[in-house]
Amino acid sequence: MTTTREKAGETGRVKPGESLIEVNHLTMDYKTKEGRVSAVSDVTFHLKAGDSLGLVGESGCGKTSVALTLLRLQASNAEITGGEILLGGVNLLDLSEEEMRLHRWSDISMVFQGAMNAWNPVYRIGEQIREALDLHWPVKLTHEQSRERIAELFELVGLPPEAMDRYPHEFSGGMRQRATIAMALSCNPQLIIADEPTTALDVIVQDQILKELKKVQAELGMSIIYISHDIAVIAEVTDHMGVMYAGKIVEYGGTDEIFATPRHPYAWLLLSSTPSITGPRRKLAPLVGEPPNLMKPPSGCRFHPRCPFATDQCAAEEPAMEDLGGGHLVACWNHEKVPVGLSETPKEDL
Amino acid sequence: MLGYISKRVAQMALLFVVFLTLLFLLLQAQPGDFASQFLDPRIPAANQELIRQRLGLDQGMWGQYWTYITNFFTGDLGTSFMRYPKTVWAVIVERIPRTMFLFTMATMLSYWMGFLSGKMLAWRRGGKLEYGITLGGVFLYTVFYPWFALMMIWLWAATLEIVPINQFLTPDFWLDSPFSATSVFTAMIWSSVLVVGGLLVVQTVAGRMKEYRTQVLLRRTGRVLVFGIFVWYWASSSMRPFAADITHHAVLPVVTLAFIAFAGVMLITRGSMLETLREDYILTARAKGVPDRIIRDKHAARNALLPVVTSFILGLAFIIGGGLVTETVFSWPGMGELLLTAVTSNDIPTAIGTLALIGALALIAHIVVDIVYLFLDPRIRVQG
Repeated sequence: MTTTREKAGETGRVKPGESLIEVNHLTMDYKTKEGRVSAVSDVTFHLKAGDSLGLVGESGCGKTSVALTLLRLQASNAEITGGEILLGGVNLLDLSEEEMRLHRWSDISMVFQGAMNAWNPVYRIGEQIREALDLHWPVKLTHEQSRERIAELFELVGLPPEAMDRYPHEFSGGMRQRATIAMALSCNPQLIIADEPTTALDVIVQDQILKELKKVQAELGMSIIYISHDIAVIAEVTDHMGVMYAGKIVEYGGTDEIFATPRHPYAWLLLSSTPSITGPRRKLAPLVGEPPNLMKPPSGCRFHPRCPFATDQCAAEEPAMEDLGGGHLVACWNHEKVPVGLSETPKEDL
Repeated sequence: MLGYISKRVAQMALLFVVFLTLLFLLLQAQPGDFASQFLDPRIPAANQELIRQRLGLDQGMWGQYWTYITNFFTGDLGTSFMRYPKTVWAVIVERIPRTMFLFTMATMLSYWMGFLSGKMLAWRRGGKLEYGITLGGVFLYTVFYPWFALMMIWLWAATLEIVPINQFLTPDFWLDSPFSATSVFTAMIWSSVLVVGGLLVVQTVAGRMKEYRTQVLLRRTGRVLVFGIFVWYWASSSMRPFAADITHHAVLPVVTLAFIAFAGVMLITRGSMLETLREDYILTARAKGVPDRIIRDKHAARNALLPVVTSFILGLAFIIGGGLVTETVFSWPGMGELLLTAVTSNDIPTAIGTLALIGALALIAHIVVDIVYLFLDPRIRVQG
């Protein structure tokens, strides 16, 4: 059995280096009893086959909403009011539910948070992976063939093949997350969305899991979108990153470049609040305040109430994405004011 | 796993002894002794004393307790007062099949209907239909049961005359029957138990098969085979007209009982299913592209089943209590009716025997539920 194969389905495999997924101006609201919550607004990012992209931001900034919408798994009260999601040129938002179902897992799969709950407690790990194979593998596999395939996947992620006959509760957190990766890889997807892949794990296991993901990406050549509130995770594994704030991408560019010279005040403060082992010793500057209530998002730039560089213009007008060159985009009126180097200012002075 | 089961059995046996002791103490707490209660006061005192000795009433409380317990475990339940000289055991043995028949039918029907409809309600949450059915379920769940049973009799038996009013058979029809009602009952119960058992065996064996296609094939042929044997047995049996008569009488009590129990099962399934549908693994299944029907039946319903099985235990309590009411309202001569007449006519040995048996059945049911849980939830399997 080979791990590479021809895809059934209309999308076909996108060649490395070509554009795999293009999200353009995606806007989504949640309808609630109290009113509409503008959870995702005007989100745009492109990803080439084989690349990895990170989305970073505080809880509730719309990262997971974006991730679930890529699979069209947004909550039932969500309404997509604009934009498109192109996968190899096909707009996923135009597909019927049944057509979308066939794209799930075979083209885009997902690594959920390391919690117990991503696995159904009453079925064996192997059975649950086999379910995906039965649904999406181009030919019907016999019992022995699918066991062989699962053993191959387990080997890839560093699990003993006999573990496939165990139940989820018999796995440790790290093993479960490895198995989750194995399941995500099972049908050779073109894109894996890793939503907080290491959040529930201790730091040592975190590191192992991220290395595992990097390794399989290098071996199999799929794209990965990492979603995390942990900026260190994004730094370690992604080529490009988008910083999200209150449902918008406020800064977008090469990961190294954003880490070296963050231009949006939010990105700058986010980086300043994170310790670095290799950089110079400095005091950490905490990010003051909380993300806004998206039922009534702030006027103008959504970050202006928390921004140390805010002017009257920020409250009045919404800044558009500006290209600083080399694909480094930022949406801020005052990005020239953001200092080079990280903040050490104690919070009282902010 | 065996260790777990034997531990539970030992616990239940101990609990049964405690239950018997409580029954005995309850009896002791009654004023007077049996001799003074039942003996004609005109009998000379010396003779009365003799009778007391023969009944063992002179032994003192602990002596009596010892006799009571040892008699129990040698299967001696004493002699019935109201059906003298029949033994209590003989009276009970005659009643058990009737109660079992009524309640196995009603329970199977209510759990089957309740689980299916609860599952659908949770899946279609938010519609007008769901709202209406849930409201109806709450009505059935809270309605005063004897009134509901009388209304059912009034509508179906008295007004529409579709089913007979009360009784469990038509006496005239049975006058020169070659079979006793008990033997027909027993045959009916065994055949339905075998059907259920057969279906379970088919399900288990099919589940063990490796290929999905063989599983489906085995399941279908197995079901056809089991029902085929059932139909063939009754079609060729000379008991058939008598079984049909009993069935005709049983329809109304079974349906009434099933309706009442069904509402509870439906509401519990609905709640448990709604909770399960919010779990992360349901999202995982959707992300995997699993079709909705399979998400509902394989991923959600399988996990939602656990609390329903638990409710089954509570359902047993209802069945015993409801048995008394149902059997009285429908004049169905089963264990509940026996208990009621035994108590009202001061037939203490029969009352104790009936209570003890109901207690034993409840405890056995608990063990069965524990064993079923072992199969349903792999997490318990490991701890055991």
